[in-house]
Amino acid sequence: MSVQVDKTVDARGSYCPGPLMELIKTVKAASVGNTVEVWSSDQGSVNDIPEWVKKVGHELLYSEKADDGEYWRIAVKKVK
Amino acid sequence: MADAPKLSIVLMSGDIEKVHAGALMGSIAAASGMEVNVFATMEALKLFTKETVDKQDFRVGEIGMKLMEKNVDPYYKMIEDAKDLGDLKVYACSLVLDVMGWEKGDLLDVVDDIMGVTAFFGVAEGGQIMVL
Repeated sequence: MSVQVDKTVDARGSYCPGPLMELIKTVKAASVGNTVEVWSSDQGSVNDIPEWVKKVGHELLYSEKADDGEYWRIAVKKVK
Repeated sequence: MADAPKLSIVLMSGDIEKVHAGALMGSIAAASGMEVNVFATMEALKLFTKETVDKQDFRVGEIGMKLMEKNVDPYYKMIEDAKDLGDLKVYACSLVLDVMGWEKGDLLDVVDDIMGVTAFFGVAEGGQIMVL
């Protein structure tokens, strides 16, 4: 699956809910149709971010552990 | 957003952990589209005075200590950020202001207004209320 990421937010090292808040800020500023990828080392993000995406009605494209296993890459498409 | 689900958070405790948790939950709720009203009263209101924040004079337990050591965004920063992302208001309890001799200017800028319980029940009406 090839996804074009329009903006990447590196929130590694930021504690809960930092990565989610950074993502929300970036998604708000993005255009509809854009994809934002967030990098998070916070253990809660992998559950929290998909829940927020579902609640506000955007689209979760993927949520995967990075190759080094130290953080997650989660991509969200702004749909409205 | 008149139809947004509503959450009201009553902060009573002066323990930084409780205020932190309340600010965190309120921020997420606001950023998720809810209308959030925070009512700070009793010891919690002390944490909304400029003096307390300037002096970083907090009542902290083990977790609060770690939060500060690790530079986790403090409650007042989370609230500030949440105000940019959604609908979050902070109200200060007028009784505490009166007995302590504090005025609006003594409080952090994130405090929107001063009110009593009657007015707070008005803004909280129809929503969920959480007390910390």
